[in-house]
Amino acid sequence: MKMIKNTALLLVFLFALGCGNVLDKQPLDKLQGENLFSNPEGVKLYMANLYYQLPIEDFTFFRQGFNWNTGDPNNGGFAPAMVTDEAVHTEFGDFIGNDDFQWWDQGYKLIRDTNILIDIIPTLDVTDDERKALIGESSFIRAYTYFALVKRYGGVPLITSVQKYDGDVEALKVPRSTEKETWDFVLKECDLAIANLAESWPGGERRATKWVAYALKSRAALHAASLAKYGDRSPISGTAVDQKLVGLDKSAAAEYYKAAADASEAIMSSGKFALFRANPANPEEAANNYRLLFEDPNNAPEEVIFIKGYARPGSGTGHNYGIWFQPNQTANGWPHPGRMNPTLELMDAYESYDKPGASAPIVTTEAGNDLNDYNGFNASKQYKRYEGPNDIFKGKDARMWATMILPGTNWKGQKIVIQAGFIRPDGNAQIMGGEPFTVNGKTYYTYGAADRTQYSGFDTWGGNNTRTGVSFKKFLNEGVNVAPGWNQSITDFADFRYAEILLNYAEAIVESGTGDKVKGAKALNDIRHRAGHKTDIPLTIDNVIRERRVELAFENKRFWDLIRRREYHTTFNNTMRHSILPVLDLRVTPAKYIFIRTNVARSNPSTFDYKQYYRYIPGIGANGLIQNPQY
Amino acid sequence: MKTLKLHLFFLLLLLTGCSIDNYPAPDAQLFGTILDAETNEPVEQDIIRGSAIEYIEHGYESQTKQLMIFKNDGSYRNNLVFSNTYSIAPVRGNFVPVTPQDVQVNGATQLDLKVQPYIRVKDVKIEKVGTKVVASFKLQQTVINNVRKIGLYAHPEPTVGEPMRTALAEQEINAASDPNKTYRIELDQAANSNVLKTGSQYFFRVGAIIDAPESKFNYAKAVRLAL
Repeated sequence: MKMIKNTALLLVFLFALGCGNVLDKQPLDKLQGENLFSNPEGVKLYMANLYYQLPIEDFTFFRQGFNWNTGDPNNGGFAPAMVTDEAVHTEFGDFIGNDDFQWWDQGYKLIRDTNILIDIIPTLDVTDDERKALIGESSFIRAYTYFALVKRYGGVPLITSVQKYDGDVEALKVPRSTEKETWDFVLKECDLAIANLAESWPGGERRATKWVAYALKSRAALHAASLAKYGDRSPISGTAVDQKLVGLDKSAAAEYYKAAADASEAIMSSGKFALFRANPANPEEAANNYRLLFEDPNNAPEEVIFIKGYARPGSGTGHNYGIWFQPNQTANGWPHPGRMNPTLELMDAYESYDKPGASAPIVTTEAGNDLNDYNGFNASKQYKRYEGPNDIFKGKDARMWATMILPGTNWKGQKIVIQAGFIRPDGNAQIMGGEPFTVNGKTYYTYGAADRTQYSGFDTWGGNNTRTGVSFKKFLNEGVNVAPGWNQSITDFADFRYAEILLNYAEAIVESGTGDKVKGAKALNDIRHRAGHKTDIPLTIDNVIRERRVELAFENKRFWDLIRRREYHTTFNNTMRHSILPVLDLRVTPAKYIFIRTNVARSNPSTFDYKQYYRYIPGIGANGLIQNPQY
Repeated sequence: MKTLKLHLFFLLLLLTGCSIDNYPAPDAQLFGTILDAETNEPVEQDIIRGSAIEYIEHGYESQTKQLMIFKNDGSYRNNLVFSNTYSIAPVRGNFVPVTPQDVQVNGATQLDLKVQPYIRVKDVKIEKVGTKVVASFKLQQTVINNVRKIGLYAHPEPTVGEPMRTALAEQEINAASDPNKTYRIELDQAANSNVLKTGSQYFFRVGAIIDAPESKFNYAKAVRLAL
């Protein structure tokens, strides 16, 4: 009985206590929404998180996503350039798979986070200027995000305010908008950002400005215009096409090209930007300037429009270009360097100074008629012989020397040795393997040196030596010995720079056939002058695309250029990528170098499947969306 | 005793918890060949980037398209199909588009797909002449569109085709073909010496592609030649 009484009392006591709000604790380690946004510092904090999520295709971007510098950042040194004609990996032969370059959940998470801010802006107790900046910044982020979505998926659901769950799941399902509506939304958000953002931030913060928003619009509009103009190079069919969820009408090209030209023009005529060191005295100076621009984009405040910064080594704050892409000789203790191997296709694309206006493929034989012969060494051919291992590249565009480490050039105080083998005095080739060979008392090694720490090419050991004949240089800092660990590089990345805007402008002018052609040609040639060219070339689409390939190489633009111009399926149609082999020719005394154009060793042909022009939409079973064609 | 009871209880739970799932396994097979409706000959195909078969299982709201591809000889087979009714159509191919047909798939179901190929590659002769492999053939197109290009493709495997070749010779046509003309393509062995080695055998196949959206190559059968 007493037991029952006690229990009842306890229950009453607990009941009374329970009704108080003593249990409704606020978490001590988290901020409540209203507190966060009522404080300018809180807004800044929130904004930093949005910027962090922004899909910037920088050093931490590859096929599996963005910000690949936390947790386990080991991606084997795979970079987006390696699924294009810019580069191959030392080992991996992967091409584009269905699950590559997906960005759906993260995109809508960022959109939700941005919408939370957008919904609350009208209620904030801030000055009008601050409110305008918030509107501008949040539109910019939303434009950037939807641009990343539309270029992957075509038309997507446009979620423009925070969705609230009130028990009805169906109410949360928003159907896809057409691809046209989605592009128009991106451009409209850019306009909103342009109208509200200031020209700069008082403290010079790396946040969106009016000019960054213009730059985004320039890039996005050009992308849309190209899709409209060239969509029929790869026709598609299916429900998504019938409902215009993917694909643009050809007629839309004109307005998008105009939007791209206008946005670029706004930046060009602002007087705020210029090419970094636009008039070098000679190609050597041009090469050095170009290298400085990427070694640290802060060297070139006049050229860079938007920088993603890396503050300090460490998880989430550093990246891994410095360890993966050093040549083997300067690995500095890292076990797997040398993984970005620029292709012969890219080397060929650069102009030479004595033949402006055309790619200058590297001619290796006296006959010069065998550029497409990738069959390896042929004793009956008369190969051109050179004193030095990089003499064959002399006279080519300075940017090639600043983008790649060429055989026998100096890097971090060392001569980088890249050699594929030698031709014995009897005419037999010993390439990629075999024992050292002694002739006239001098011993020759296949890879140019006795020890594997003393060369950087062709040996398969560790997957550390280039298999294309050159190593990678752009973005690497010659003055820094990167520690052999994860996320130790702090090179900043220029997401938008003035040269891209000039190229966007030139392309929009030439592709649309309208606008100021003289100014378009000047934009093109200004960039070439900065690379040490003296002769102007005419504004043609081939000249613009070649210029894009070489000027923007490895800035993760080529992938999207092939996509938007619908050139991927023709560029990669059972396509091999190629190497150039520097080989020591011992048939002559003193020995000289010959070069052999060949298929990349241990590689397979790649074929781009038409359906890859759009990514598949994940989770259609739950979200009820119409899938893209052929998935 | 009490523990035993408890154990028995859980054993009972375990046994009743998992009944065998009651869905039938995919117990049907679907196979056949894509045939030229006029000649009843198989229509040659590609494996990579080739024509496909789309089929939708009836009775589900999602209308999810499933996909099969053809072998080079135009045959296809799926031995793990759920018995049901399906809407089936060959799509994005080297033939005039067709509307899907509803087919009851049950047990071993043979379904030959009759189509009108865009182009028939006829009277093919592939031979070695000196250091060259020479193909001569005629084209009979069944639609008014232009023929975009013709080609001769070589590969060590019989699955040779435009997307799978180690050597090729192509000609752009971009015009309607002439049914009486003998087309001729030469593939130079010397210029492809590392992939076409003297003394080895290779498969050669002649193809032509029509200028139509999502069209694929039409072929003649691959021919094996020793070089």
